[in-house]
Amino acid sequence: MADTREILLSPSFGPFTVRPRAMMRRTDIVAGEDEVLAALERGDRHAALRLLMRDYGTAVYRYCQQMVEDDDLADEAHQMTFVQAYEGLLRFGGRSSLRTWLFGIARHRCLDLLKISRRRQKRFQLMPELPDQPAPAETAEENLTVRSRTSALSGCLRELAPRVRTAVLLRFQQGVTYEEMSGLEGERAATLQARVARALPVLRRCLERKGAAP
Amino acid sequence: MTPACDRFETEGLLQLERGEPLDEHFVTCPDCLEARAAYARLRQDIAGIGAGDEPPADWEARVWARLAERKRRPRWIWLLAPVGAAALAATLFFALPRTPAEPSLVQELVEAGPTRRATGAHPGERLHLRAETAGSPQAELRVYRNGRDLLLRCPGDASCQRKGSELSATLLLSSPGTYQAVLVLDDDPLPPPGKGLDPDAGAAFAQGARVLLGEEIAVR
Repeated sequence: MADTREILLSPSFGPFTVRPRAMMRRTDIVAGEDEVLAALERGDRHAALRLLMRDYGTAVYRYCQQMVEDDDLADEAHQMTFVQAYEGLLRFGGRSSLRTWLFGIARHRCLDLLKISRRRQKRFQLMPELPDQPAPAETAEENLTVRSRTSALSGCLRELAPRVRTAVLLRFQQGVTYEEMSGLEGERAATLQARVARALPVLRRCLERKGAAP
Repeated sequence: MTPACDRFETEGLLQLERGEPLDEHFVTCPDCLEARAAYARLRQDIAGIGAGDEPPADWEARVWARLAERKRRPRWIWLLAPVGAAALAATLFFALPRTPAEPSLVQELVEAGPTRRATGAHPGERLHLRAETAGSPQAELRVYRNGRDLLLRCPGDASCQRKGSELSATLLLSSPGTYQAVLVLDDDPLPPPGKGLDPDAGAAFAQGARVLLGEEIAVR
């Protein structure tokens, strides 16, 4: 017999109660969120989270994957986003769509994990991991597969500062408007627009260097 | 290659992000037209990045399990002053009877080679499970494959044994897939499983049951 592991498991908890939600401004509801809001209106936080996980689980995961440097961190940020969403659902005031609110949580979790990860790397000076894929040749543009193009783009996104990266991903990968993003980031929409506009040429140059020019 | 005219990068991109109409120049300048097309492709590439990536199969069950853990550790405990906490700990240590065993789950891969990865196995190997139920009136040990197929329920399965507060069972890992053991505990009868790992874990959480997840095992 080999390979024995003991797994510590999550302990018990009692049944939870949900207070009736305060009325909220339903001004910015993304299509499909009615179901979640209806669950919240009847105080069913469990059903609301289940629907949020169903509707946004994959999108939040893809965002986290691009935001943080490795799969374990992405899993952690992804799961914590929904744990915190559950805990914050009763305080959701409807000032943004649920989707935007959820990505706001994800953004914070990813930035926090990035900070911790960087601090750890500095302290222990970890050896850089070898890339899974060989780097594409500088002049191999015509031979690049879709996968290696995506890999090049991921690499270039990770060269951006985290706050720039999150703005680019929220804007283009998730389609969040600058007005919504402004609420999340606590910065003016014009500042975010300029940040994204400045980031695009940086990404283009990076992709050109990797032989994956758009 | 740097184009002769870089106005699209310095002005056009910002106009686009602001939602403003583009200057006339950008319709006639060849460099700018080319740059505009390149940035349109770049935006499309970013929009599609990670399009094939899916979260791990059991991620929803893990969220429920984490929520269960947080429920058990109320935040107010952290507000206690350190001295109060020390006094409480001393009181608990000396005045209260020993607490019963905590629930736990042990997973053993039988017939696995000594160098086998901790989370990997091959078809034909067996997964032996031992669960400490800590005297919970209702306890069930389950194994799911790929988050959907409920392969084992203990009590219920022929291999299932109960010794005191411990449940044990053995499962043949017959085919490739991701196997996930779950221990569910409650005072009340458990909600019937069968809808899949995530919904079953969610239903148990909603009832107030303990949901304890083992580490998933990839069989290849």
